[in-house]
Amino acid sequence: MDLPIPPGLKQEWAAFETRRQFFGRTGKVLGWAALASLLGGRGVTGDAHAANTNGPAGPQAAGDLKLPNFAPKAKRAIYLFMSGGPPQIDLWDYKPNLAALYNKDIPDSVRGAQQLTGMTSGQARFPIAPSHWAFKRYGKTGTWVSDLLPYTARMVDDLTIVKSTNTDAINHEPAIMLMNTGNMNAGKPCLGSWLAYGLGSMNDNLPTFMVLQTKVNDKENNQPVSSRLWSSGFLSSEYAGVGLRSSGDPVLYLSDPNGVDREVRRKMLDAVNEINHQTYEELGDPETNARISQYEMAYRMQTSVPELADLSKEPQSTWSLYGPEAMEPGTFAYNCLMARRMAERGVRFTQVYKRGWDVHGNVTGLLPILCQETDRGCYALVTDLKQRGLLDDTLVIWAGEFGRTVYSQGGLSPENYGRDHHPRCYTTWMTGGGVRPGITYGETDDYSYNVVKDPVPVRDFNATLLHCLGIDHNKLTYKFQGLDQKLTGTTPASVVPGLLA
Amino acid sequence: LKTFKDVIARADQLLPQGRSIRVVWLAALLMSVELLLLPLIFKLDGQAHGNWQQFLGRFHPLVVHVPIGLILLVPVLEIAGLARPALREAAGFVLKLSFIGCLGALILGYLLAYGGGDVGAVVTRHMWGGIVLTIFVLLCALARPWWISGSVSRVYPALLSCALLALVWATHQGGSLTHGSNYLTQYMPAPMKQILLVDYFQSSPASSGSFYAMHIHPIFDSNCVACHGEGKIKGGLRLDSYDVLMKGGKDGAVIVPGKPESSTLLARVTLPSDHKQFMPADGKPPLKPEQIAWIRAWIQQGASPSAATVNGVTIREESKEPTLQPVGDYSGMMHEILLMQQGQGAKLVQVSRNPADGLVLSTVDVAGSFDDAQLAQFQKYAPYIVEVELGRTAVTNGCFDTLAKFTNLRALHLEGTGVTGVGLQELAPLTQLTYLNLSETKVTPANLAPLGAMKNLRHIYLYNTPAQPVSGADAAQSASRSAL
Repeated sequence: MDLPIPPGLKQEWAAFETRRQFFGRTGKVLGWAALASLLGGRGVTGDAHAANTNGPAGPQAAGDLKLPNFAPKAKRAIYLFMSGGPPQIDLWDYKPNLAALYNKDIPDSVRGAQQLTGMTSGQARFPIAPSHWAFKRYGKTGTWVSDLLPYTARMVDDLTIVKSTNTDAINHEPAIMLMNTGNMNAGKPCLGSWLAYGLGSMNDNLPTFMVLQTKVNDKENNQPVSSRLWSSGFLSSEYAGVGLRSSGDPVLYLSDPNGVDREVRRKMLDAVNEINHQTYEELGDPETNARISQYEMAYRMQTSVPELADLSKEPQSTWSLYGPEAMEPGTFAYNCLMARRMAERGVRFTQVYKRGWDVHGNVTGLLPILCQETDRGCYALVTDLKQRGLLDDTLVIWAGEFGRTVYSQGGLSPENYGRDHHPRCYTTWMTGGGVRPGITYGETDDYSYNVVKDPVPVRDFNATLLHCLGIDHNKLTYKFQGLDQKLTGTTPASVVPGLLA
Repeated sequence: LKTFKDVIARADQLLPQGRSIRVVWLAALLMSVELLLLPLIFKLDGQAHGNWQQFLGRFHPLVVHVPIGLILLVPVLEIAGLARPALREAAGFVLKLSFIGCLGALILGYLLAYGGGDVGAVVTRHMWGGIVLTIFVLLCALARPWWISGSVSRVYPALLSCALLALVWATHQGGSLTHGSNYLTQYMPAPMKQILLVDYFQSSPASSGSFYAMHIHPIFDSNCVACHGEGKIKGGLRLDSYDVLMKGGKDGAVIVPGKPESSTLLARVTLPSDHKQFMPADGKPPLKPEQIAWIRAWIQQGASPSAATVNGVTIREESKEPTLQPVGDYSGMMHEILLMQQGQGAKLVQVSRNPADGLVLSTVDVAGSFDDAQLAQFQKYAPYIVEVELGRTAVTNGCFDTLAKFTNLRALHLEGTGVTGVGLQELAPLTQLTYLNLSETKVTPANLAPLGAMKNLRHIYLYNTPAQPVSGADAAQSASRSAL
């Protein structure tokens, strides 16, 4: 069958085929064909490439990496991403001495020569804004937690709290890219895509990497979140995160239209696949194969997603744990519940996004809302995983892209203040498979401004996450632009042993 | 045979003759006596002496490996010399060289101990081991010509054997100084420990059950005692028991009860790690933050040897995971496994690239239909399977019969299945099983009783079962062994 493509254009495409693609393909096509017939559609290695038998997954197959490098403590991970930059001073990093310094200027020696954002660099003064909320000690570990997080406070003994996380970026876009992809510039694969590429799928009927966005609250200062954050970059696009919509059908056009039954759908897909195969034979673009496997995944998701999203069989105890909000699709609590259900069904990596933490002003007005929206969901998810025996091999991560300043942005009054972006220290937590529960790692100075002990830069943070999942971050690589690309980048990164169980 | 005679003839010519032989022996005797008297002349008094001694002494660990290698080479050359006489000739040279090496290492070692002020039982044993070894090597070198000439055939082999025994003893003491005395036995499998009576010789700290014994002493034991213990007493300080700890070192007490800020020990472990006085010294791993916090709280509240708790500090009892036995190498069976599971939907997945980590039986793709009969098909590969995921499958109580044969099973998922727990006792032989998930099944408390005897089974999940009903109120308590 000949496609209605002008011959000139086709020649142009063919010329784009790189030398590497050519050699990668000729060597592997035969091997993959043989392997595919042998496996009969099922992989034994646990990586998705053998399971997706539609041909080579890309110019480089992760099977060669022989992952996991060692027995993993966690099989899967759930990443609760607090987009915008939660203020560590108001939530976790307790600084009781600041109360006495209300409205005093932050010493120059603390701030040093740091370049600030354009939003506060013009301020005449940098007055200290102590946290509006009281802190109390919780749990057997006696960990200080703000009154804003009454639910999370109940599980501090299970958490690995990192007070010394720090980043190189001071603005949202580069910082959120750095957290997710290890690079400030867009175009690199994110953590979830690296995991999908390296470890493959555990459940052939659901995507390996899923993304859940929380419905936007218009009262909050929302920074944009989009598919660049769950992009697979230069990896095959089948490793990109699959987002579920926060309202209506979780996946658009998932249900067959009237008059199209499952058999017709199958026949249609078979025909499309055949055409795609021909295109692949002709042009050799690995993205064609990615497209074929995405069609197949969508077909399987037609049955698996409705089952995933059907909460009718959840026991009453679920609702009393997550709260009534969890019944409403798109809320943070609902997404946490979905994350648990995905973990049960073998989704390798789930990322839940909650926007709105960018509190430049009106901290006392906004922060209680943000915490009220997220606090119970976090607690419910961890508790639920724990009681169901899933926390043993699931890693849960709570993090934003940076912290917020101790000094007030804009006016400071006893009732209200604002906080600007702060990259030099922020608090994150993890729990579950691979990390040591009940510890607080790292220390900041008296102003929660600089890390004074055990700094954890983003690359080390990510190296540690990979370690929990059985991956040596230096070995999960992909050749691109002449470099063995990796999540932790070119600056040497190291796993933080103090965080590990 | 002819060549052999030639060799002997040549060796005869090399032998010292007449008066000179007596001189050599006299000199050797004198040197041996000197070596034996060395510790009495320059007594190891626990005081540091001069920097240059320490500077030179620190080359001891480097130099010491040279004579070790050379001495071990001697018997090899002697034996190989039976077939290739040229090698036997070399043995004499190597032997003399090893004596020079021994002497050098001995002197440097002595400078190290003397200069650094090291004393202690292991230091003493190591020192005497080195001296005796050097003397034996010297005697070997002197007795060898007799053996070559055939006049006295037994003395040299006997001396060489003694030298080798002395070598093993002296080097083991040296290793204990560097790595700690339990370095070799720490990860020894328990049965071997029993046979070799390892624990029998290990001392135990005072008043067991106290906070000191449970939490403080183990920190010192694994981080400090190698240099501050019975074997080696740096700075006159020992930390291997409560009494010696409180006695302090040559600069006085290191722990001031109730005053963490004046306790030298705490100060030294909290310095910046590149500080000259930081402990543990010499690049050994620093104490963990929580360990330092425990020590501080313990000192703050009186540094008691017997108090069972310290306010504000609760240490999660880290249930020590049992050491897992590695599974065999399944790589050879991979092809067969692939064929067997073709069309099954269930699959065996590698835990890691290392076959000793085993395989996981994953059924998530076909959960609804996977039943006892399909499980039985995987029985053949049971020895390689460490985890079986049967959550939400169609298996019944009949599966326990099959699972009992999965002798390397570490984790078993049965959540959301139809099992009621009848037959759970069949899992009793699974000594490696540490995790069992029975959440959302109809398992009853009575049926769980047999699991109580399974020592290693530490994580049992019973959420939403008759054995642990959900209250409906806030979060249910997580399951634990106490449910049994």
